[in-house]
Amino acid sequence: MKGVLLYCFNTEFYRYDKIAAKTVPLLKKNLKLPITIVTNYDTFKLLPPLGMVNYILTDHETGNYINRKPWHNLDRHRAYELSPYDKTILLDIDYFCFTDYLLTLADADNDFLVHQDVHDLTGKGSYKFRQNSMIQMVWATVIVFAKTDRAKAIFDMVRHIKENYSYYTELYRINFRNFRNDYAFAIALHQLGGHQNYDVIPAKLPTLPGVAKVLGINNDEITWQVEDNIGKTSGTDVHVIDKGVQNV
Amino acid sequence: MDIRELKNLSDRSYRIALSKKNALEKSRSSSVLAYSGHLFKADAQIINLVQVLKQKHKSFVVLDSNDNPMLVTNPDEFLDRLISKNQEALNTYHQLYQDITTKG
Repeated sequence: MKGVLLYCFNTEFYRYDKIAAKTVPLLKKNLKLPITIVTNYDTFKLLPPLGMVNYILTDHETGNYINRKPWHNLDRHRAYELSPYDKTILLDIDYFCFTDYLLTLADADNDFLVHQDVHDLTGKGSYKFRQNSMIQMVWATVIVFAKTDRAKAIFDMVRHIKENYSYYTELYRINFRNFRNDYAFAIALHQLGGHQNYDVIPAKLPTLPGVAKVLGINNDEITWQVEDNIGKTSGTDVHVIDKGVQNV
Repeated sequence: MDIRELKNLSDRSYRIALSKKNALEKSRSSSVLAYSGHLFKADAQIINLVQVLKQKHKSFVVLDSNDNPMLVTNPDEFLDRLISKNQEALNTYHQLYQDITTKG
């Protein structure tokens, strides 16, 4: 069985439950797959009724930060054991699904797929990270995985990398010192793939970077602003970085 | 033209260029096809390759988008799927392109 797995943990700064209230209905409408949300009790209490959704209540690990704010991203490696599905589409909670594109990826036999490239919808070229490490980063925003020994090994490897992250940042000369799943998965794939290439999603991840302030969202499109320019994106899935989206 | 008009023209060109780039990327995502457990970009290259190979062989091997080999046993069906995915994506791009260039 195929299904979607989401992580949703509020922080003292961001209300991810409010973002889930916008993204979950889009997932239900466009993918028509069962959805499971991994969350904690405090966040669960704030989530609005989302219809048929499974919840896994668990405590999350703390201690990671981004821009001096708590970043609850240390539990992604548990997705393999937590997912009730044979084929899982693991998504960031701020992934806005406007199409059925992810179903195509889930139809492939590959047991582990991620994006290697990103498409900045603002045209600002915000994501040129190639000089920030020895290996190319992958984007852990969308991970499509099956319950295979190899996929399990990748998640186990990510846990190991997380526990020894400073060592791996030195080894791969990664200049993001706070734990980042994107690098942890890139390292895991590199290590377990015999330091060779691995299969990736043959398209770019459409992303609105943090400089783009989201002005509005409906069932079909997102309106955003960068400086004086207002843009609209429709008919494509979008990964939204601007956490202000919680209040739109 | 005064500087204000020139700036407006420049802003319009920027909007068109960005919209075109985003529409093209959307088209590329839409052209991804899952067939027999493999992922393909339904582009001109694979369509032409399959068309040529099917004239010579009843079954043949092609590489998917991750360079994994796939045995094609039903070339007609595969080609139909590729063409329809390709045209679906390009038609959308075509419509968006017309909107972009006419409305600016």
